[in-house]
Amino acid sequence: MALSVAFVALAAAFAMNLVGHRVSLKPIPLVATNFLSTATVRQAYPDLVRAGADLSDFDCYACHEKGKPPTLRYDGNGTLIIPKEHSDIVMGHGRHGRNNNCFNCHNETDLTLLQTRDGRKVTFSNSQLLCGSCHGPTYEDWEAGAHGRTSGYWDRSLGPMDRKICVNCHNPHSPHFPGRKPAPGPHLLRPVSIASAEPESDN
Amino acid sequence: MSRRSFLRTSAVVTAGLAALAASLKPLMEMNDFPTAERFMQKYYKELTPADMAKVLKRIENEVEKQYGIRPHVRDLKPMDGVEFVYCLNLTRCIGCRKCVHACVAENNESRNPEIQYIRVLEMTDGSLDVYKARHNYNPEMVPEKGFFYMPVQCQQCENPPCVKVCPVHATWQETDGITVIDYDWCIGCRYCEAACPYWARRFNWTKPEIPKDRINPEMSYLGNRPRRQGVMEKCHFCIQRTRAGRYPACVEVCPAGARKFGNIRDPDSEVSYILKNKRVFIQLKEELGTSPRFFYYFDV
Repeated sequence: MALSVAFVALAAAFAMNLVGHRVSLKPIPLVATNFLSTATVRQAYPDLVRAGADLSDFDCYACHEKGKPPTLRYDGNGTLIIPKEHSDIVMGHGRHGRNNNCFNCHNETDLTLLQTRDGRKVTFSNSQLLCGSCHGPTYEDWEAGAHGRTSGYWDRSLGPMDRKICVNCHNPHSPHFPGRKPAPGPHLLRPVSIASAEPESDN
Repeated sequence: MSRRSFLRTSAVVTAGLAALAASLKPLMEMNDFPTAERFMQKYYKELTPADMAKVLKRIENEVEKQYGIRPHVRDLKPMDGVEFVYCLNLTRCIGCRKCVHACVAENNESRNPEIQYIRVLEMTDGSLDVYKARHNYNPEMVPEKGFFYMPVQCQQCENPPCVKVCPVHATWQETDGITVIDYDWCIGCRYCEAACPYWARRFNWTKPEIPKDRINPEMSYLGNRPRRQGVMEKCHFCIQRTRAGRYPACVEVCPAGARKFGNIRDPDSEVSYILKNKRVFIQLKEELGTSPRFFYYFDV
């Protein structure tokens, strides 16, 4: 008799769904599509040309005069004074502020060209050759595909591989790779306070 | 039979039947009851090309019915002379988690409850204690000073513990090094999840929830076709992309170029160069003898 009472109780419990509620899930917002974008940090000159974008930034002789190298001005500490026409440039290449001469990389007599320290002229569409003239080991890595971004096909018999160049990620005037807001982390089923989720410190 | 014993027996039987009916109720709510076709389907390795064509058709129909999108499902085979290897540059990773979400989008992973193949661990500079790593960091800007980031996903081991424990051979290693799962053969026992030292395998506790406009219709049988409730899934090196010659989604999306992928049997590939020339410091938990095809390396 006790057994049948137990069965009836169990049946009632099942029927009324007393145990084993369907877990109600909190809605999780979909991740913003900008986190799914495969765009590079910056657009390089070849990208702009390919996209048919506005290239007026590269039209130096719209303002400068041909055959008349611009003069550089420095303040008392030897810091380059950036003219207001170029106020978007942050001189942050190198750690000690010593890389403060535009013509370390730009060609003085033809501003539409770049120039390595040993005098080779480099066009804007081949700027990686200029970067590589100082950053040799990194350039070797880049050539082998170990540094920098690649996209497309790993199997080149099936499709093209697209190798991004230095300035797709690094601003040449301030090349440190920029930080960014991280995409949302995992949503926990049972949220714990961040404090208890922190690992205990060793000291 | 006395009147008393008859009443007692019938009460017990009635109660028992009621209990049985009630306990079977979840079956009634099952939205994805197997069709005869799926139930009778043969083991993946025994399917003839004609069988496979039929199976792919069936999957396309099922997906269309459930998610409202007609997908293109293929069964891509491993390529000859190809063995995939993944290299991840810990000097370059900034911990932005874009790979996590690109992976979710590419591979039709459930949005709620969340299933994500990649975990990004934040660790203090100078340490490599994965047990004290943080998953839930959320600063305004990454990388944070004093920390480095280590994404972990399926390591595609050469000696995979997950494959050894599967009681029904629903998961195995293919010739190109990818450990795959047949979602139609998996019984959901979760042994593989327990066996994996990298916590790379995920279980579908519910039917995956994927909004219609976020479905990736380019699917493959062993890859990113939507899973059912009650089966395992994990990273498969984006089999639907990589066996067609393309890079995985996480490689494409990494803004820092920290992720490298390729064919280790090709001496000119990026991964061959990295393993030859870089400081490749670990296969994660290499002391376990799993021999991952996933390598972490440093610049300099």
